[in-house]
Amino acid sequence: MSHLAAEGLVVTAGERRLLDGVSLRLEPGALVGLIGPNGAGKTTLLRCLAGLARPDAGTVALDGTALATLPVSERGRRIGYLPQSFQLAWDYTVREVVALGASRASGAGARIPAVLRAHDLTALADRPWSGVSGGERARTLLAATLVAEPAVLLADEPGASLDIGRRLDLMRRLRAYAREHVAVVVLHDIEQAVRDCDRLVLMDGGRVILDGPAPALAGSPEIDRIFGVRFARTPIDSEADALLAVSSP
Amino acid sequence: MRFALRLAPLLAIALVFGIAAGHDWAGPAALARALGGADDLRSRLLLEWRLPRVLAAGLVGAMLGLGGAIFQGVFRNPLAEPYLLGSAGGAAIGATLALLVPLGMPSALALGGLSFAGAWGATLLVLAVARGSGAADAAGLLLAGVAVAAMLGAVRSLLMLALSDETVSLQVVLSWTLGGIQTPTWTGLALLAGLAAAALAASLPLARGLDLLGLGDDQARAFGLDADRFVRRAILVGAAVVALAVAYGGLVAFVGLIAPHVARWSSGPRHRAVLPLSAAIGAILVIVCDGLARAMLPPAEIPLGLITAAAGGPFFLVLLRRRLRS
Repeated sequence: MSHLAAEGLVVTAGERRLLDGVSLRLEPGALVGLIGPNGAGKTTLLRCLAGLARPDAGTVALDGTALATLPVSERGRRIGYLPQSFQLAWDYTVREVVALGASRASGAGARIPAVLRAHDLTALADRPWSGVSGGERARTLLAATLVAEPAVLLADEPGASLDIGRRLDLMRRLRAYAREHVAVVVLHDIEQAVRDCDRLVLMDGGRVILDGPAPALAGSPEIDRIFGVRFARTPIDSEADALLAVSSP
Repeated sequence: MRFALRLAPLLAIALVFGIAAGHDWAGPAALARALGGADDLRSRLLLEWRLPRVLAAGLVGAMLGLGGAIFQGVFRNPLAEPYLLGSAGGAAIGATLALLVPLGMPSALALGGLSFAGAWGATLLVLAVARGSGAADAAGLLLAGVAVAAMLGAVRSLLMLALSDETVSLQVVLSWTLGGIQTPTWTGLALLAGLAAAALAASLPLARGLDLLGLGDDQARAFGLDADRFVRRAILVGAAVVALAVAYGGLVAFVGLIAPHVARWSSGPRHRAVLPLSAAIGAILVIVCDGLARAMLPPAEIPLGLITAAAGGPFFLVLLRRRLRS
């Protein structure tokens, strides 16, 4: 099984340091949640891990091989990157988008029907992009990314446009994928991150502030400090899917 | 695929129309006689004079359609046209030199060779300018294209003023810029056909990359496309395809814009269908427009570019309207 390691990543934009010496080792078996306030450097880190942004210093290595030396096609096959959203220039159908995702790995084409089924997309497969909802687009994108079975999955706020049911379903899929692959997900919903991720990485100002198992990290007062918010920590009913806070009468 | 099959009879009809159209329309009887190998003057004119011109028109149209599809794919913009990156201005300079300077070689060779070199050279210049200024993305390329086109336009005007000593020669240059298919020799036609086949063969492998670019730069990269390198390669191929069309047909407006649209409407946006269909549709359009150019105001011939522009202009406006509405 593959692993991904970042060492001393620095990314600057003018005077500002978007990433300021980030090191991280990512292994299969745990869904990693990347959390932090706006501007903490989460997306920049994710793009460096995906090989889409080049750090000014430091390296990212997939199984010991620096991403910068990996052929782009091989990187695309082994690392799946799921952006928050993307704009299509042409009105591809759902099936065509998934097929484009499959085109990066030989043999992935045969998996298209199964992947469409697994993501509840079979009925929509021949609908044009302009005719599907935001949630359906997010599922299509996930299917297009996973159809090549990348060793690493990096997802940037993949549930942002989904209703709660779909979002929980998506998190379940990511968690299942994380069992045998490296999987990192940027999340703004702290509650969801604490509940659905196995490991949390808390970032602020381009640095990793905390990195550890989700339950332990959830108790840290650092989270309250960094977000500038006082969180109530409530044990919840393990039968429940989500938490709904109501004020007491 | 189904649409491709439907195009074949359309192409055949366009070919027959092209051979028949002229200031003296050839009726079915005359066509049948000519195709049957009759040896009278009319039949020989149709076969040896008009047929090569119709075939050349088809190949020029195919290259324009193909070039348009490549450029629209690279710039992910349905309003992009094949002359976008300076090829029109460059070709016009080459043609101006060929038409106004005695070069000591056959004029058709000089005109074709220099306009090809001008068109391709101008696009190379645009690529170099964009890279040199560190803006190799689509927007940077477009801006570099605008700047280079303006400079080339100035150079061409200067050349025209400096080199022409009579109004006649200026008219020759002007009529070239309006586009037009000359009857080629069979050797010239064979050369064009060979080059067009090579251009098509070089273009078809671009299909997957163009499809991926349609997902956006980032997603194309995430799916393993070396986007910058691919864009450069696609532009070089596209520019060569367009330069070939320009060398044999001058500046024929709008075909490169229209053909890819019709292809996408009929077969969807995947480029493995859009590229060959755009070529076929471009061929049909130019064959028909070239026939109209010969037949509409006999005995005079209307410049081909005027016909394609007169038909393409309204189409372009409708397109713009639909796009703005959506």
